[in-house]
Amino acid sequence: MTPLSFRFALRELRGGVHGFRIFLACLALGVAAIAAASSTAEAFRRGLSSQAREILGGDLALSVEQRGFTPKEQAVFARAGRVVYSAGAHAMAQAPSGDRRLVEIRGVGAGYPLAGQVTLEGAPDLGHALAPSSDGVAGAAVEPALLDRLRLKLGDRFLIGNSSFIARAILAGEPDRIGRGFALGPRVLTSLAAVQATGLIDPGSLHAETARIALPASSQLGPAIKAIRDALPGDDLLVRDRSDAAPGARRLIDRLEYFLGFIGLASLLAGGLGVFGAVQAYLETRKTSIAVLKALGAEGPLVRNLYLIQIAVLAGLGVVIGLGVGAAAPLLLGLIAKTRLPIPALFAVYPLPLAKAALFGLLSAAAFSLEPLARARATPPASLLRQNLGGRVGFSLETVGAVLAGLGLAGLTLVTAPTVLMASLMIAGVAIALGLLWLLGWVAVWTASRVRGRTRGALRLGLANLAGPRSAARTATPAIGLGVALLSAVVLIQSSLLDQVRAVAPKTAPAVVFTEIPGDRTAAFDRAVGAVLGALRSDRYQRFVFVTGRITALKGRPVDRKMIREDQRWAYDNDLSLSTIGPEPASAGIVSGAWWPAAYAGPPEVAMEEKAASAGGLKVGDSLTLSVLGRDVTARIAVLRKVDWGGFGPDFALILDPAALAGAPLRSVAIARMSKPQEVALTRALGQDFPAVNVISVREQLEGAAALFDRLALAIRGAAGVAALAGLLVLAGSVAAGAGARAREAATLKVLGAARGQILLAYMVEYGAVGLIAGVAGVALGGAAAWPVVIKVFEARWVVDWSGVASLVAGAAFLTGGGGLLAALHALARRPAPVLRSD
Amino acid sequence: MTSKAPPLQLDRIELTLPSAAGPVRILKGVDLAVEAGERVAVVGPSGSGKSSLIAIAAGLERPSAGTALLFGQDLAALDEDGRARLRRGRVSLVFQSFHLLPNMTAEENVAAPLEIAGDRGAGPTARAWLDRVGLAERRRHYPHQLSGGEQQRVALARALAAQPALLFADEPTGNLDAANAAVVVELMFDLVAEIGAALVMVTHDPALAARTDRQVTMGDGRIVAGEAAA
Repeated sequence: MTPLSFRFALRELRGGVHGFRIFLACLALGVAAIAAASSTAEAFRRGLSSQAREILGGDLALSVEQRGFTPKEQAVFARAGRVVYSAGAHAMAQAPSGDRRLVEIRGVGAGYPLAGQVTLEGAPDLGHALAPSSDGVAGAAVEPALLDRLRLKLGDRFLIGNSSFIARAILAGEPDRIGRGFALGPRVLTSLAAVQATGLIDPGSLHAETARIALPASSQLGPAIKAIRDALPGDDLLVRDRSDAAPGARRLIDRLEYFLGFIGLASLLAGGLGVFGAVQAYLETRKTSIAVLKALGAEGPLVRNLYLIQIAVLAGLGVVIGLGVGAAAPLLLGLIAKTRLPIPALFAVYPLPLAKAALFGLLSAAAFSLEPLARARATPPASLLRQNLGGRVGFSLETVGAVLAGLGLAGLTLVTAPTVLMASLMIAGVAIALGLLWLLGWVAVWTASRVRGRTRGALRLGLANLAGPRSAARTATPAIGLGVALLSAVVLIQSSLLDQVRAVAPKTAPAVVFTEIPGDRTAAFDRAVGAVLGALRSDRYQRFVFVTGRITALKGRPVDRKMIREDQRWAYDNDLSLSTIGPEPASAGIVSGAWWPAAYAGPPEVAMEEKAASAGGLKVGDSLTLSVLGRDVTARIAVLRKVDWGGFGPDFALILDPAALAGAPLRSVAIARMSKPQEVALTRALGQDFPAVNVISVREQLEGAAALFDRLALAIRGAAGVAALAGLLVLAGSVAAGAGARAREAATLKVLGAARGQILLAYMVEYGAVGLIAGVAGVALGGAAAWPVVIKVFEARWVVDWSGVASLVAGAAFLTGGGGLLAALHALARRPAPVLRSD
Repeated sequence: MTSKAPPLQLDRIELTLPSAAGPVRILKGVDLAVEAGERVAVVGPSGSGKSSLIAIAAGLERPSAGTALLFGQDLAALDEDGRARLRRGRVSLVFQSFHLLPNMTAEENVAAPLEIAGDRGAGPTARAWLDRVGLAERRRHYPHQLSGGEQQRVALARALAAQPALLFADEPTGNLDAANAAVVVELMFDLVAEIGAALVMVTHDPALAARTDRQVTMGDGRIVAGEAAA
């Protein structure tokens, strides 16, 4: 026989879920957001992993910088499997008109690509596109941006260095593009031989060469890598394999998942207030039934179980609805946008992300439902004879359960976060914000109850409602406030970063960077620049020796990457830009140690960026071994310095004393501030005497970044808007819960002679106040969350987007006031007589 | 608790409740005893404390002072669940506002106290009692589908189905028209007599009060007339 509580619960549920629509909506929204974020991330992860070979361009990719592969290396690779070589560099492309543009040129050897397909327009296949013409000019596939910029069309010729190319096809896609990352200019794909002929990849020049290997079917990844490492001990090869073909994209997906998941969680918490309000309102309507059951002899546990079962069934329903929407959203995204996505994705229904979302949903339902349940269980049976008797909630199973569920939510958030610190900060931030907003709601209620006596008419009525037991301030203020806080944090971080890109960086960063300046022609280069810019002052033009190198040993021991935190490993994972400077520069930013004397010629010394040093556990006096231009240089750390990345000065992670690299064929880079016309004129002028010098337009890169920001801003704000939607649901719940009482109140007021306008005004006052308080407090809290992110994490200038902030506050007040208007219209639409008769 | 103990014995019962304007003394030392099968009417003006007296006597509320014994059991010694267990099968209540469970049918409402008491034959018993109050045809109806008089007859069936030894009725005809009130009163007195239960009834109706064995008049929280204790 079914337990009594189940039987009674089923009888109650026959009455339908009318009072639980907001409960279901709040729960479903949060669960759907988390499920959609996790499922989409999983689809991208699976997509990346299913195309790992294509993304890497083979099973293994081995790269070197500023040199070619030695015959020994080539022999070792050949033993491992089928090998395809490629080489890439940045270079200036020049049209017959004299227009010039930085491009990323890549030459590929026969057999490319080992995996996947190159997508071309204008040529049947890669062979046709890259084949030389009858007069020996190499064919190239180019991105459309190059054709636009140099005003070329397919079939036209252009120069890179002193070599001529024919733009024979439009390069629409390369299988290994994601694995290669960001490009500074349009891509040009040609044959390896053609690139070799340009001189761009001569030893010492800034370029990278890669060997991609397709292993035989019988060969395993691990042993193959080991065999290569064993055969080439001490080699500076950067080895990647198909198991982690695109680490940058993987990290991006992880962070995106967490950001979107966090918004889902925030909306679940904001919606939790809706769950709380809905359960409380429902149990309020069941108060008489509970008292009757107790009068009939029912004990507390029966009452608790009877309503717990109902809430559990409805929570299950809400979670199922959320999972349905959350699982369908990525599938829909796949249908609509699959071909336009930058990262391959395998859209499907994945159980693990859905299980995670379901667990979040159920824990949130428990955390927010159990307290009102405890209150209901404590309803004294005497409330049958006297109204307004509330149950006193003390220590009970329900309150313990609510606390455990809350801790479970926090724990699950920590476990599923990429970093514990980030998750802890976010949890603490949301908890503090919610607590403060809750407190503010109570302060609003308290203040309204004190102030209303000094007011009259509609204002007094509005304040009385604000102070009353059904006040929207208690649940709607925190929920809407949290949504506004999230949105305003996003708006304020975006506005500060956009300002950094649009206003700050163009003033502080160089407008143009020149690379590949031959070391023996620096004076001539300075003169060429001076001819366009006039006198070369240090605030407008600086030139530095430039070379790349990799840190191979710390304090005499080989670098153990695993000992360095992943988010601080950048200086040990990549080749670093480094320079040599004699006398201490004006903007050295020394944190500790002392710069070497201007004419220093002793054992090598190095100035190191402080964070990179700290990641490796290095301090002044320690030794550092670098692999530079094919030789090892062990230097003593003389200086730790703070580098103004992107500023107008020597922004190198490492600076050596000049004697350390004496005799090496060193190139230089230069940075300059200039107007756009000067940039155009100088770019053209350098085409004559310095065709190999690359001109990188920082201005253009910043404009590109600003455009990307603009495109992303809407999507990110849209995602954060989900939390605001949860706030509105809570408001709707609050309006719905009070609808009956409001109708009676409006009917009574009409009987007493109140005009419709007065009643409308009273409701607008109440709800408008809730919206205004939530809006202002939300913006303040959002600002408090955004400020440290802008100042400490991005090290940017704090800029407030006043129009965005004002529209958020106005939006919150307007939407909430609108909710009040709807509540009023609903209440006023009912004729007084039937309402009062039914009371 | 002994089987010979009287159903109800109240000694010097006081009830003080908090309010916004300060504590309010509702009952000021009430003594009342009810014997098995006895029918007692509690009368008096509104606000004299009649309903509060019922709430304390039925164990729905704790007195601020004094002793309340239900079947010899001191209610102060029991927690809320203990008092609920004590009521099961022995004490029933009928209210002025009927207080049927809105999501249960008439039959389920009548069966509810039997089910709570663990009676496996709750369904047939409930149907039999609905038949007794003349509502056999309405057993699948929900409260909102019944008239006021029908709802109170269902409430009466629910109160008596477990054949309690003590029935409290708080103005049972207060919300009914004269015709329905007469039907409910006849039923109540007939059925109470049939099962031999004691009855404590709050009423404003002198005619109704006159049908009981004894009348107790309350005023300002005290018993001002009538035999206070047997």
